Amino acid sequence: MTELSFYGFRPPGIEGESLPGRLIVIEATDGAGRSTHVALLKEWLEDEGYAVLDTGLRRSDLAGPGIQRAKGGHTLDPITLNLFYAADFWDRLERQILPALRAGMVVLADRYVFSLIARATVRGVSLEWMEELYTFALVPDLVIYLDIDVEQLLPRVLSSTGFDYWESGQDFLRGSNVYESFVQYQQMLLAEFRRLAKRHGFTVIDARRTVSQIHQTLRSVVEDVVRGMEEWSTESAGMEQVHVARPDKAAHAGHDGIDLTRSERAAPSE
Amino acid sequence: MRDDLGLPGRLFIVEGIDGSGKSTQLNLLHKWLISQGYLVVFSEWNSSPIVKETTRRGKKRRLLSPMSFSLIHAADFASRVHSVILPALQAGTVVLADRYVYTAFARDAVRGVSRDWLNKLYSFAVKPSLSFYFDTPLAESIRRIMDGRPKLKYYEAGMDMELSSDPEESFRIYQGLIKHEYERLVDEFQLVRMDATETLIRQQQRMRDLVRPHLSGVMRFDGGEIHQALRDADLLGRYLSDGRGRLPPP
Repeated sequence: MTELSFYGFRPPGIEGESLPGRLIVIEATDGAGRSTHVALLKEWLEDEGYAVLDTGLRRSDLAGPGIQRAKGGHTLDPITLNLFYAADFWDRLERQILPALRAGMVVLADRYVFSLIARATVRGVSLEWMEELYTFALVPDLVIYLDIDVEQLLPRVLSSTGFDYWESGQDFLRGSNVYESFVQYQQMLLAEFRRLAKRHGFTVIDARRTVSQIHQTLRSVVEDVVRGMEEWSTESAGMEQVHVARPDKAAHAGHDGIDLTRSERAAPSE
Repeated sequence: MRDDLGLPGRLFIVEGIDGSGKSTQLNLLHKWLISQGYLVVFSEWNSSPIVKETTRRGKKRRLLSPMSFSLIHAADFASRVHSVILPALQAGTVVLADRYVYTAFARDAVRGVSRDWLNKLYSFAVKPSLSFYFDTPLAESIRRIMDGRPKLKYYEAGMDMELSSDPEESFRIYQGLIKHEYERLVDEFQLVRMDATETLIRQQQRMRDLVRPHLSGVMRFDGGEIHQALRDADLLGRYLSDGRGRLPPP
């Protein structure tokens, strides 16, 4: 089950202690293969019989359209833009992710608050403010970070979308050389992600290998997290649990309050 | 809130429950400041053009839970701080705001949002030079609202909090909760309490007396030259007036 614990405070309107589903987050910069691996994991999990919800950023009913409009005009200061993202994130947490977890599904989140924090801090927003902002976020069962370098990123980006305005940091980096902006921006972003990975104990997976190799590694870490789900039906919610608790979660049982180290499994898997 | 910026402008804000008379008094202060030659920029709660569409969408579809209500209003406020309030204060004008962070603190706290989190969330806001809290007996402010505007909107009446299925009853309870929250904010943030049962003239005199000492050194704009030019050209300047009294006929 997913313990209903939050990084800082429990937002109003959220009841209960635990949920039968699992929240699995995949974080990485664009081009690292995030959506490919979300798709492969979804295929595999559904094949195994798990119900899966995949969700990404900027997909909320409430703030999604507003963000798209605002980004189109490049008019927002970073604080406003991040509050917009936070509203979008909360809306999805409340109306997509939590209901799916309540229903016993595996939620695969293509990016979570950490992408938002990384992108904002490289743009000069205070890390402290960003982390405080997201203390209403649910602590995931697993956060995977697909680790990659700019050198491997370049051919992937060039062969797909090319250099995107935002992903090259052109909204805040001066200079008209798109290639140089891209390299500089991605290096800053990757450094921030690695810092966050260490700070919050992400499961770091080497994404420089083949898709197939990466998928196999992902499976093994995800398998550990979903194991035991079949023994925990939605009807038993709130009753004495009989399933085998995962030891890392059990160690934290009953804990609340601020503890950003809770997205456990600190050791890189490679 | 930030008060370390050393900005040349001055920020005055009013707070209070609906029907407390705060907007009336701020409007009078606005006109007085203009008549004294000050440049005044006015900012209203919930008015950012960028965020407005999302707020409207959320309200219309009733998508706003307490947290989304809080975050969307914070986005609106942040947008106004960065595009209106801060630049005006940097330029040295007087800025007047009808409602400020305390409105968010009160409305969100009664909906169960952590007060500590709200404080940190709004740490980017500029601390006002003076904050006025218009204190009215609950029954009086509710009477004023009900007199003029019998149809209450969903969020305005606090219907999302499920206090009562009757909008009027819900509004009464909601305003009471907000007023209670304001009471603790007055103490915590040293808001100037205005007795809103006094006559309008007395209240305005007191406001001006309190504002005056803060105005020394603030930029004034002498629009006299254009009047002279108009007179020389035998024109009245009617077509130039912006409708807010900025350029009264000479």
